[in-house]
Amino acid sequence: MILGYLGAGSLLAGLVLAGFSTLLSFWAGVRQSAVFVQVGRRAFYAAAAMVALAAVLLETALLTHDFSLAYVTEHSDLSTPIALVAAGFYGGQEGSLLYWALILGLLGSASLLASSRLGERLAAYAAGILAAIMSFFLFVLAVVASPFDLLPVTPPDGLGLNPILRDGGMLIHPPVVLAGFASFAIPFAFASAALLAGRADTAWIRHTRRFALLAWGLQTSGLLLGMWWAYHVLGWGGYWGWDPVENVALMPWLATTAYLHSSQVQEQRGRMRAWNFGLVIVAFLLVIFGTFIVRSGVVPSVHTFAISAIGPWFLGLLGICILFSAALLAFRADRLGATSHAAAPPVSREGAFVLQNLLLLGVVAVVLWGTVLPLVSGMFGSQRVVGAPYYERAAGPLLVALLALMAAGPLLPWRRAGRPALRALRWPAGAALVALLALAASGVRSVPALVAFPLAAAAGATVITEYGRAALRKPAVIWRRRRRYGAYLAHLGLVVAAVGIAASQLGQQEKDVTLQPGQSVTIAGYTLTYSGSQNQDLGDHTEFVASMKFGDQTLEPGRATYALLGGQGLSHVAISTTAWADVYVVLVSSSPDGSASFRVLVNPLVTWIWAGGIVILLGVVLGNAGQASPAAELARRPVPITLPA
Amino acid sequence: MIAAIRWGAPAAVVAACVGYLIFTASGGSSEYYLTVSELRANPPAGDVRVAGVVQGDVQKTDGGLHVTFTEKDATAAMPVEYSGALPDIFQPGITVVAEGRLGSDGVFHARTLLAKCPSRFSTQPYTQ
Repeated sequence: MILGYLGAGSLLAGLVLAGFSTLLSFWAGVRQSAVFVQVGRRAFYAAAAMVALAAVLLETALLTHDFSLAYVTEHSDLSTPIALVAAGFYGGQEGSLLYWALILGLLGSASLLASSRLGERLAAYAAGILAAIMSFFLFVLAVVASPFDLLPVTPPDGLGLNPILRDGGMLIHPPVVLAGFASFAIPFAFASAALLAGRADTAWIRHTRRFALLAWGLQTSGLLLGMWWAYHVLGWGGYWGWDPVENVALMPWLATTAYLHSSQVQEQRGRMRAWNFGLVIVAFLLVIFGTFIVRSGVVPSVHTFAISAIGPWFLGLLGICILFSAALLAFRADRLGATSHAAAPPVSREGAFVLQNLLLLGVVAVVLWGTVLPLVSGMFGSQRVVGAPYYERAAGPLLVALLALMAAGPLLPWRRAGRPALRALRWPAGAALVALLALAASGVRSVPALVAFPLAAAAGATVITEYGRAALRKPAVIWRRRRRYGAYLAHLGLVVAAVGIAASQLGQQEKDVTLQPGQSVTIAGYTLTYSGSQNQDLGDHTEFVASMKFGDQTLEPGRATYALLGGQGLSHVAISTTAWADVYVVLVSSSPDGSASFRVLVNPLVTWIWAGGIVILLGVVLGNAGQASPAAELARRPVPITLPA
Repeated sequence: MIAAIRWGAPAAVVAACVGYLIFTASGGSSEYYLTVSELRANPPAGDVRVAGVVQGDVQKTDGGLHVTFTEKDATAAMPVEYSGALPDIFQPGITVVAEGRLGSDGVFHARTLLAKCPSRFSTQPYTQ
């Protein structure tokens, strides 16, 4: 009870502080007052501290089973394992918003700490924008969807968590996805602040480079963890279903990927300034749009969400952000031209980055259209929806073109590609040719496979060429220029993951069978024999476990039934990973006569996706490891003041 | 001016390609998303997705790999037939989305069957 009052109070205090910080910081920016800038910043830190206090209070309420709070009652019960009770913090609508505000507070404070070096105006506006976003979240949390609402009568026990969510994936997937979403507010805030302050130089890019990379790393991990969870727990044999919920997590990732590349063009060549502002804004808008789609239930999804009061608020935020950003870009359009007027030819590193950006935005457009089609068509008649074939047909060619670009781009020099650069392309071209011949010789006739795998081989060869060159000439350069070699490592991971995705998409085989004990099934050369089954009573549920002999292993797919939840079932998938494929067995049902029905799938190279993901993250870590902080770099290098503020 | 053409032309080409891909792919594979009564009132040609609530008459045969049931919304009902593995949470009372087509026999032949998550994790936005 007392926790509820304290929590609501700290949210309200945070809201007041964040609102104060917003007004003061903008005023400080206009007046260029160093003192006001500092006070505004400190008010943001204080608001962040209030959010942190609210988070601690909510977690305490969950862990002490304080069922006087509606949120605690709805998302936990006495029998839920304690780790999952703790995860209830971000498991529900209100708590996930509080978690979002917490990440915004922590990363926002970190990004403001060294921001005074950027100049008073930029620092002031950045603090003001971060505080404005924080105010929005705290307003929604305090007024519309509070996690501290009290129940009129305290129940003896909570409602608990659905069995599907009683899983380790629940502990790591949602917080990583949400943190990836929340962290992209930092580049957005500094980009908008730079526009407001009329500072089109690269100071904001340098200052937020690590935050953009962090956001990208978190978004990448979030997507991969979601895929891993879907694959291992949900038992439909796949890892990606093109559901709106997945799409809205994919789109900001694509836009962030584009930004990480195009920001280099500005840092190295002083070009694409307007483009970079636009991309950061688009990436942030996609995050807000995604949150609106997911939380408002406006498009049909397999996931049913709480269609709560927060949908319209996020729509309002989206509208304000669009108007604000568009006005800002139009207002500063005259200052956004390239600093160098030397024309860059299309066949160059710049050209590759531009094409890559266009293709990535093309994929965003494909996914966005597929996601909003039900909304758009619903306005003109019956709702129409698209499924996986649409995304595969429309995005597939673009993704293949991106693979080709990944093979060629890193080998092209800045400004102009001459003969030596084109000669360097012989390694990836050779690798592609070898892969093509090997595939053709082994009897592969599928056109998508004959295109995708050789291009992946070429992109992999490019990375290996770059590392090989460095290692032969001067290995120390890999550590000294680790930002660059970290990026190549991430490329390699992406290639490995792409091979896994292509192989499992193109080569999946499945079979539905009903077997008597002793009978076996053969699929793609793998033979499984059903040896029998048993029923286990495990307290709140019973579990029916079948045994299947597979070589010298025994696979045990099971099916739990929760009597208290109206007989809801939950499959436990059995997966055996062999060198080339996962053998994936789902127990569908069982009969009293001892027979059982199974769905058996063979998914080639799925493990490559997870392995590739780990390599990508290693690349992100290498790209960041122990390098001087962007702020320190900035202090050493005088900021080029190219424009009157 | 020359720079604008140099960079604008490839951008226009990529945009045209993306537009073409979206147009052809969505033309070929988009489906109507209907309720049972909308389907009854005006059955479109081709595959559709139909949302409705599973009734109590679920019958499983072939070891549970073949199922028939009635899907119903506020005003209309239709029999559905489906072969394959059922979603974990499939049971009478939940909302399902059946993808397939209405046969001339009046039975809806579903290719895929998706279950909407039950209300208990309505507040869980990050689940499959």
